[in-house]
Amino acid sequence: MSTTTVGGSPGIGADRTKRWYRARRSLQGVSFVLPNFLGFGLLTLGPVVALFYISFTNWNVFGKAKWIGLDNFTRLFGDTSFHRALLNTLYYSAFHIPLTLAVSLGLALLLNRKLRGVAFFRTAAFFPYITSIVAIAIAWNLLFSRDAGPINQILGLFGVTDPPGWTASSDWAMPAVIIVGVWREMGYYMLLFLAGLQTVPPELHEAARIDGANAWQRFRNVTLPCLRPTTFFVTVMLTIGSFKVFDLILVMTNGGPGQSTLVLSQYIYQKGLVENRFGYASAISVVLFALCMLVTIVQFAVNRRRNA
Amino acid sequence: MRHRHPRWTAIAAAATALTLTATACGGSDEPADTGGPVTLTMSAWSLKTTPEFQKLAEAFQAQNPEVKVEFKEYDADNYDTQLTADLAAGSAPDLYVLKNLKNFITYQAGEQLLDVSDVADGLGDNVNGLGNYKVDGVTYAAPYRQDSWYLYYNKDLFTAAGVTPPSETWTWAEYEKAVADLTAGLKAAGSPAKAAYQHTWQSTVQGLALAQTPGADLGSGDYGYLAPYYERALEQQKAGSQVDYGTATTNTLQYQAQFGTQQAATMLMGSWYVATLIAQQKKGDAQSFQWGFAPAPQHDASTKDEPITFGDPTGLGVNAAIDENKVAAAKKFLTFVAGEGGATALAGIGITPATLTDPVVQAYFGVQGVPGDELSKFAFTTHDTRAENPVSPQTAALQNILQETHSAIMSESTPVDQALTQAGERARSEALTSK
Repeated sequence: MSTTTVGGSPGIGADRTKRWYRARRSLQGVSFVLPNFLGFGLLTLGPVVALFYISFTNWNVFGKAKWIGLDNFTRLFGDTSFHRALLNTLYYSAFHIPLTLAVSLGLALLLNRKLRGVAFFRTAAFFPYITSIVAIAIAWNLLFSRDAGPINQILGLFGVTDPPGWTASSDWAMPAVIIVGVWREMGYYMLLFLAGLQTVPPELHEAARIDGANAWQRFRNVTLPCLRPTTFFVTVMLTIGSFKVFDLILVMTNGGPGQSTLVLSQYIYQKGLVENRFGYASAISVVLFALCMLVTIVQFAVNRRRNA
Repeated sequence: MRHRHPRWTAIAAAATALTLTATACGGSDEPADTGGPVTLTMSAWSLKTTPEFQKLAEAFQAQNPEVKVEFKEYDADNYDTQLTADLAAGSAPDLYVLKNLKNFITYQAGEQLLDVSDVADGLGDNVNGLGNYKVDGVTYAAPYRQDSWYLYYNKDLFTAAGVTPPSETWTWAEYEKAVADLTAGLKAAGSPAKAAYQHTWQSTVQGLALAQTPGADLGSGDYGYLAPYYERALEQQKAGSQVDYGTATTNTLQYQAQFGTQQAATMLMGSWYVATLIAQQKKGDAQSFQWGFAPAPQHDASTKDEPITFGDPTGLGVNAAIDENKVAAAKKFLTFVAGEGGATALAGIGITPATLTDPVVQAYFGVQGVPGDELSKFAFTTHDTRAENPVSPQTAALQNILQETHSAIMSESTPVDQALTQAGERARSEALTSK
């Protein structure tokens, strides 16, 4: 398809042809990206930009949006429910991120060897990720039931006389949600780690073994450093995912009992879609966006320093 | 690459043609001069399982063959969100249902509802719940359903426990005593059933407290009126008279199954459950047993002639953006559904309409399976139904706060007084000062 001048006189003509050729190439490239970018611009970028604007207004679905400057943000400072939601989000993330990281890496290491039926176990670990969240919530809520739930019955076998109330108790609801969150996502991140493990060169392990390194030393000094790109990716994705946690909490506890599991995303949903205060909800979204951005930038910076 | 162009043009042309035909089919540009045939569009949800919309349209069209009513179906759970989006986009139907009172103010304040005061004037005083749609002297919608809460009771279980069934004049004190007697009586009779089932919704406690307590006001930020109702609920939970809140939430208990399979002898629930229970008994989803419904227990004996209960009406409003040529037909339809004609049609399928005249009552109790005893008839015809969500811009935010208060108290995470004080503080700082 490309037309190049063969044997033409060098000089202005060839230059123009070259430029035209280059423009055409980049146009072709753009045309490949365009469909995706159009969708992204229309459905993601546009709303995100609009969000920033709306957060400075008192828009409530109908009628005009009045510009109110920083009012929404100053309100946030004094809003105790927002503080509660922010703290709960950090609480969830502080446990969910390291736990999921550890469990999924552990699973990946366990299932990265030649075992009989390893494919079955890998699939089984991935199942929670593709199961309907509503079904998960109902099943886990049953397991967590205070008096009749199997979890408390097992705890009873170990001599726990006053087992926790889990999702029906304001102290234990968050740990319950975290457990389910880890269980649900471990399969997905395990898959990423499994892929990462394939890139670890076997000769490095072999060399370490010859040098007399034991399994733990090989894991720390060979596997982990080789996995760093994967670990970095997983950590960033997990962090953003944890800050945005929504559906799991909505269907498991609906933020309760009281406000014990109210998280930012749910608070945004409440203010925006339930109470129709889209301006205020947008302001909360901006804060959540800034939070995700900040943490991600820090992670990138840390990662770059380590790589250097 | 050039040879592809014609094909793309063809596809684009086809797509445009398709869009144009689709819009034409939507029928937003009917040639509707008054008197000629008019097609009205109306919002609806779950048409397959919710016969009320079809019923209203059929009954109306039987009398007004020149007007056609078509439905635009929405998802039942996301109704308000989807409808809001359509209204904002200008693609909402001519008439739309106001599923509850909580969101009515959003549509009204957003100038999405046509003034239908003339329809309201023509309807008279027979329509329950009509006053809720009046803002600053202007009426913006009319109700076609007015559900209210009853005390459902299982006659067989009362007999088994040897307890006298409810009367028209039960106060909460009498109810408490009956529940205690039932708990003992059912245990003695070897029945696994509990005396009562209280569903996990906040309205099971808060609705009646707000309606019945003299001076109670949702917008006051003072929620002390809820205390006796919560203490009673916790008491019964502790005494084992009803399943506790934690079990009900963790096991995702369904109230239909609790009462329908005789797990509970009494249950406070809205009037919509009458039709559900009849249908479930017919299908075998519920066991067959004798049951009836009584007025909700009262604050004191002073309201025994007209017991106070609660419930939100379901209303119908006219889209402010409706085509001018259709307004007359839309108002005619609204007058019909809120009046005796629509009410009789709805009563015939076991729904509690907003208008309760003698023919409507007859139609309702003529439905096979509706308990025909005097007490049920009294509960259906005689009551003062107060709104669960009094119309105000703050109601949605306040109900959110009280929902969290409900789960905190019922899960015994926070003591009643402390939780109610906190609710008041939050109401003042988060909801009542905003706007």
